[in-house]
Amino acid sequence: MRPRNTQIRQNDSSNHVQGMPRRHKPDYILLIIALILISFGLVLIYSIGPGLVIGTNLSQNYYINRQMISVALGACAFMATAFLPFKFWIKSEKFLISIAIISALLVRVFGQRVNGAYRWIQVGGFSFQSSELLKFTLLIWLAGFLSLRVKDGTIKDFKKTLLPVGIVLIALLLVVAGVQSDLGSTTVMIFMIVAMVFVAGLPMKKIVLIGLVVAFLVFIAIITSSYRQQRVATFLHPSSNCQTTGYQTCQAMIAVGSGGMIGLGLGQSVQAYGYLPEAANDSIFAIFAEKFGFIGCSIFLLLFAALFTRLKHIIDRCPNNFTRLIVVGILAWLSVQTFINVGAMVGILPLKGITLPFISYGGSSMIFVMAAIGLVFYISRYTLHTVPTKEVGRNDYDNSRNGGRIRRTRYSSLGGR
Amino acid sequence: MNNDSQRFNLKALFKVNIIFFFIIAFIGLLLVRLFYVQVIKYSFYHQSALNNQLEQSKIPATRGLIEAHEAGQLIPIVLNQQFFTIYADPTLIKNIDKTSSDLSGVLNMPKSTLKSLLETHNTRYVVVAKKVSQDQANKILGFRYPGLGSLGQDYRVYPQGDLASQLLGFVDNSGHGNYGIEQVLNNQLSGKTGYLKAITDVNGVPLAASKNNIDIPPQNGKNVVLTLDLAMQKQLQDILANAAKSEKSPLISAVIMDSNTGAIKAMANYPSYNPAHYNQVKDPNLFNNATVANPIEPGSTMKVFTAAAALNHGNVNQNTTYNDPSQWIIDGFKITNIEEDGGAGKKSIEDILNLSLNTGATWLLMQMGGGKVDLKARQVWNDYMTNHFRFGKATDIEQGYESGGIVPNPDIANQSDDQQNLAYANTSFGQGVTVTPLQMASALSSVINGGTRYEPYLVDGFADSQGNVNYNKPKVIASNVVSSNTSNSMISLLETVVKKHEEAGFKYLAFPSGYNIGGKTGTAQVPKPDGGYYDNKFNGTYLGFVGGNKPQYSVAIFVTTPTVPGYAGSYGAQPIFGNIAHMLINQSYVTPIGQ
Repeated sequence: MRPRNTQIRQNDSSNHVQGMPRRHKPDYILLIIALILISFGLVLIYSIGPGLVIGTNLSQNYYINRQMISVALGACAFMATAFLPFKFWIKSEKFLISIAIISALLVRVFGQRVNGAYRWIQVGGFSFQSSELLKFTLLIWLAGFLSLRVKDGTIKDFKKTLLPVGIVLIALLLVVAGVQSDLGSTTVMIFMIVAMVFVAGLPMKKIVLIGLVVAFLVFIAIITSSYRQQRVATFLHPSSNCQTTGYQTCQAMIAVGSGGMIGLGLGQSVQAYGYLPEAANDSIFAIFAEKFGFIGCSIFLLLFAALFTRLKHIIDRCPNNFTRLIVVGILAWLSVQTFINVGAMVGILPLKGITLPFISYGGSSMIFVMAAIGLVFYISRYTLHTVPTKEVGRNDYDNSRNGGRIRRTRYSSLGGR
Repeated sequence: MNNDSQRFNLKALFKVNIIFFFIIAFIGLLLVRLFYVQVIKYSFYHQSALNNQLEQSKIPATRGLIEAHEAGQLIPIVLNQQFFTIYADPTLIKNIDKTSSDLSGVLNMPKSTLKSLLETHNTRYVVVAKKVSQDQANKILGFRYPGLGSLGQDYRVYPQGDLASQLLGFVDNSGHGNYGIEQVLNNQLSGKTGYLKAITDVNGVPLAASKNNIDIPPQNGKNVVLTLDLAMQKQLQDILANAAKSEKSPLISAVIMDSNTGAIKAMANYPSYNPAHYNQVKDPNLFNNATVANPIEPGSTMKVFTAAAALNHGNVNQNTTYNDPSQWIIDGFKITNIEEDGGAGKKSIEDILNLSLNTGATWLLMQMGGGKVDLKARQVWNDYMTNHFRFGKATDIEQGYESGGIVPNPDIANQSDDQQNLAYANTSFGQGVTVTPLQMASALSSVINGGTRYEPYLVDGFADSQGNVNYNKPKVIASNVVSSNTSNSMISLLETVVKKHEEAGFKYLAFPSGYNIGGKTGTAQVPKPDGGYYDNKFNGTYLGFVGGNKPQYSVAIFVTTPTVPGYAGSYGAQPIFGNIAHMLINQSYVTPIGQ
């Protein structure tokens, strides 16, 4: 009667994915919010095209054309994660980890040094940011690892849980912060790990311990790189270094502040004309703020809030620990990355050089962010109808795989399509 | 689902709530911060943005050219050439070593000098080189090095060197005209500076379609056409230069004017300078156009006007004779004649001019009054000098620093009549009164053209950008300077003077038939700075005309203290007039009788 559901059940042999309820309509609201944000990015990049190509021989449409390609690739990534069965990702976990590690190390060998950091692998006319792949891989591996530990009941075991996580964490710090000098991505990954282990149930004490180790390592990272010292010094005294190290921060603040209440208007950004470095990229929020002002920024941040709320909505209804941890990781990823980016533009966080999800120019970020959204989209097909409460019996009843037969849910009419 | 995992779920969801709380809190924090930056601190950041982005610049207008006539064509004699100032913003220069070595190749400057310029700290503007050619500037900008820029500036160029230099004046580095035409017509020549206020990109290129942009294009200066005849001007300068050499005069000035319009055809001083190198001139007097700026006591050339005034006043006519006593005693001072006068006896007006009789000039002055030098004579003569011949007043020619000279007041309170009579007797033969060559030539024109006073002028008109010239008309100031009878008498008297001088041995005053040439010499004592006159220093002057049926050119020549074997007028200034008159005739500037 419901062949697809049956099939899923039969094939759900993996440990992680046990207990998936029947499939229903996915969360289109999530997708719509993501599409609105992507459109914002496209409009922004299109409108500042002439400013971006100043001093080059590139056409005014160079950036928007390439961003369209990125969006197309992002759409492919989204399709892959949203429609390939989950076990595909679980099965290719080892492959993903190998690729991620190799690419992370290749960055140092073939990589291009941009703003003091090695983040990009240059292949022909395209470049690839390995840390985006690392985030995605970390997400899948850690969710699987932690959900197994929860199932085993060894989540609080030092040897079985904390030690491996700690090793992975230190390895990431060494590779991304140490080898690639990419503190922004490192921060995002740390927050992903912390959020996931926190939700998975690692004791607070141990998390604090991890936190102390991380703080120590970050401190080491800062004092060993003059580039990072500069950034911290700039953050502490932005206006005193406006002509030198604080230039980007000052120009970003000028862009944000000169937007005022209602902004200069879509075509009126001046800071994009060569004043603000990385205008299409790390600094794109400042350009948005200049064009649309406080009102525009509020709407913009509320859209992100809506996205995060939607993710939270799905987390609350995830059918199992594995999927829940995946979405928690994605929530941490997207929110922390957004905050680090926007926080730097408004001068409350130091510049880290990471992209604004969905908005910034760049293919790697777009592909993996859309892949992540695809995962959530996939998971949203299997969410429970209600949030679990203490009323155990009712929830068991509602969310049983056969619930539809007994009681029509609002999804059931679509179930037989 | 068992109870254990259910418990886990509830715990996990509580933790997710904590995380979500932090996320929403952080978004709130960002909104508060945005409100602070965008709304509360808006004016600060708005101003910072303007400081960054707003470019306000003046767009220089192109200075007008100065043109003059030559063989029926207009030839530019003052042009502009654009040179460039190369500047650098040291904070933007990336590779100082390579930038300075490439610059040194183009600019022919030592690399070390450039390197130290580009390494200047604490400034964003360093002038690397000035007056760089367009080619060099293009090469430098062609490197596309960050932080280098060029600024164009027009400089005056003078293809004819020192031609008419004092008349033209020069333009200083700030673009302002000094002396001559450049000073007087500075406003017309310089045009109106444009103004650009625009939001620009980081390279200073204005962004299109910003509503606050102001773009007032510059209005270029007008091209000025001078009355000068370039060939005549060149030859006059040659004549003066040769005379200065042979007569060892420190300053010779001469002006050739169209007697019937007031247009200046040539006007020169020797020595002169090249305005392109005005900043190398050591003696600032060299900038002066002495023909309009240096009034001196003219000596006997003034007798032309004494005679004209007396004839016009009516008590004497061309054929009047009188008994010349060879000396007058006025205020206890003897007035005698410098040149050979042949002793006391019957003399004519012609004799007064030909023999240059001071006593004769004084007699003419007496005829303007009550038969002697008295208040009335002084008043009449003063009226002629200041109102008819316009001595003591600037001619309003288009020249900087024009001087009007000094004519003594005919009736000074607290001064005895006798003293004033002596002073006025002196003015009748050109002492105690100062005039410029231009005033002399202008007054002579009115005496010999039938009595019409034209305002002397150098600006023939202004040319528009298509080259069409809007010519000025000669400006008549007065039409009754002297009667036409007086004018005719003066013409024939002055022609006789030239003929008699030729007969007396000044052979260079022989001219081909068909031309009428008239003139009068003057030898003036040179006043000492502290009063009185030098015994051994004389200035030579000459006032004459050249024409056919009627006088066509009025010529005034002042020679400062020439070293010559005779009177400064006859031996210093008169030969110069001879050369000028021959030049005008030989070069067909003069229309002969009957044509």
